[in-house]
Amino acid sequence: MKKLWTHPWLTVRVQIGLGLTFLVAAVPKVLDPPSFAHMIYNYRLVPGPALNAFALVMPWIEILTGAALVLGFFVRTASKFAGLLLLAFILAIGANLARDNAVQCGCFDVHAADKSHGQLLGEMRWVLIRDAALELLVAQLLLATRSPGPEGLQTQRER
Amino acid sequence: MSRRHPFLAEGAILLAAAIAAAALSNRIGPAERRLAWVRDYPGALTVPNNGSPASRPRSATPVPAASVPDTVAAPPAPAKPESAAPAKPPAAKAPRASTHASPPAAPAAASSADEFAPHPEIPWKEIAPEQARTLFDRGALFMDARRTSVYREGHIRGARSIAVWEADADDKVKAFYEEGHDPKAPIVVYCSGGDCEDSHQLAQKLYGAGFDAVFVYKDGYPDWQRRGWPVETGEAR
Repeated sequence: MKKLWTHPWLTVRVQIGLGLTFLVAAVPKVLDPPSFAHMIYNYRLVPGPALNAFALVMPWIEILTGAALVLGFFVRTASKFAGLLLLAFILAIGANLARDNAVQCGCFDVHAADKSHGQLLGEMRWVLIRDAALELLVAQLLLATRSPGPEGLQTQRER
Repeated sequence: MSRRHPFLAEGAILLAAAIAAAALSNRIGPAERRLAWVRDYPGALTVPNNGSPASRPRSATPVPAASVPDTVAAPPAPAKPESAAPAKPPAAKAPRASTHASPPAAPAAASSADEFAPHPEIPWKEIAPEQARTLFDRGALFMDARRTSVYREGHIRGARSIAVWEADADDKVKAFYEEGHDPKAPIVVYCSGGDCEDSHQLAQKLYGAGFDAVFVYKDGYPDWQRRGWPVETGEAR
């Protein structure tokens, strides 16, 4: 079972798919930092003085993480970064669900949409499920790249 | 070190590269897409006290000082201005009369004059659409707190743009202050209505700059447009 789970065929696709996901998610944030800052503000979790720096740097961490996964460098580190980012998103969404603060995810779009409180809460639950599924992909990558061998793009390129 | 702890070394490289890339992109990007690296946002950790837009009370009359939302301080005396906003003028330097190009306000009835009187004890008061229209007809200054790109697509006729989420918001407030407008003349600020707090943030900045008669048209541009009241498109003033 472990061999199937860490098979190179799967690992390459997971690596590239995860990398592309992060790249696609980061682009709108890099193109419009003020809107992304507004999205972060709505979460009410980041202290005011740190908010803009967060909005400026985080998308670039996503871009570099995505690029590292797609191009096959620093794969394990990029996987861990991806895992930490997803964990942060899950905790942020979860915290706001718990306190009934309906927010737009801002994951792939930083422009405010006209949605009701109920619609936003529903979307937040779906985002939790989606991000949990992405964490499974991160787990696959970390498992597949842990042991030496032909798994993953990185070790394939080292041959 | 890097062989034993590749995550630390590689992580540091990724983080450093991200910070450098962020600094470069923020520097070379268009002005309306830049952010100041450090800026305070009052209420950034305060959850709004109601979740549904429908449940937020809508004031038909000006909000009394006691019900100012918890995201905005309602100090008994004028608050110390934000660090990026100019301080109130010293007593020896009297502000000049308003110089904006709107027609002079018509003489107001006694009840209307009280309604829009300066309120130095609180940063802003919310007003209903009809009150906003009254002020518009009197030639009061309107300020649009939305993003510049959104302002261009349509705004209340004659409104000026100070996008609170863009890097030059504080500079624009300072420049507005330096134009010498009457600090007791009504200023109406608006944004997108609903849960939008941009207008409140702009009102707070104007209050910090010394303007004592700031009114928030809470229903904002969508409401104004829906009522068929005067709008225009074009570049920011």
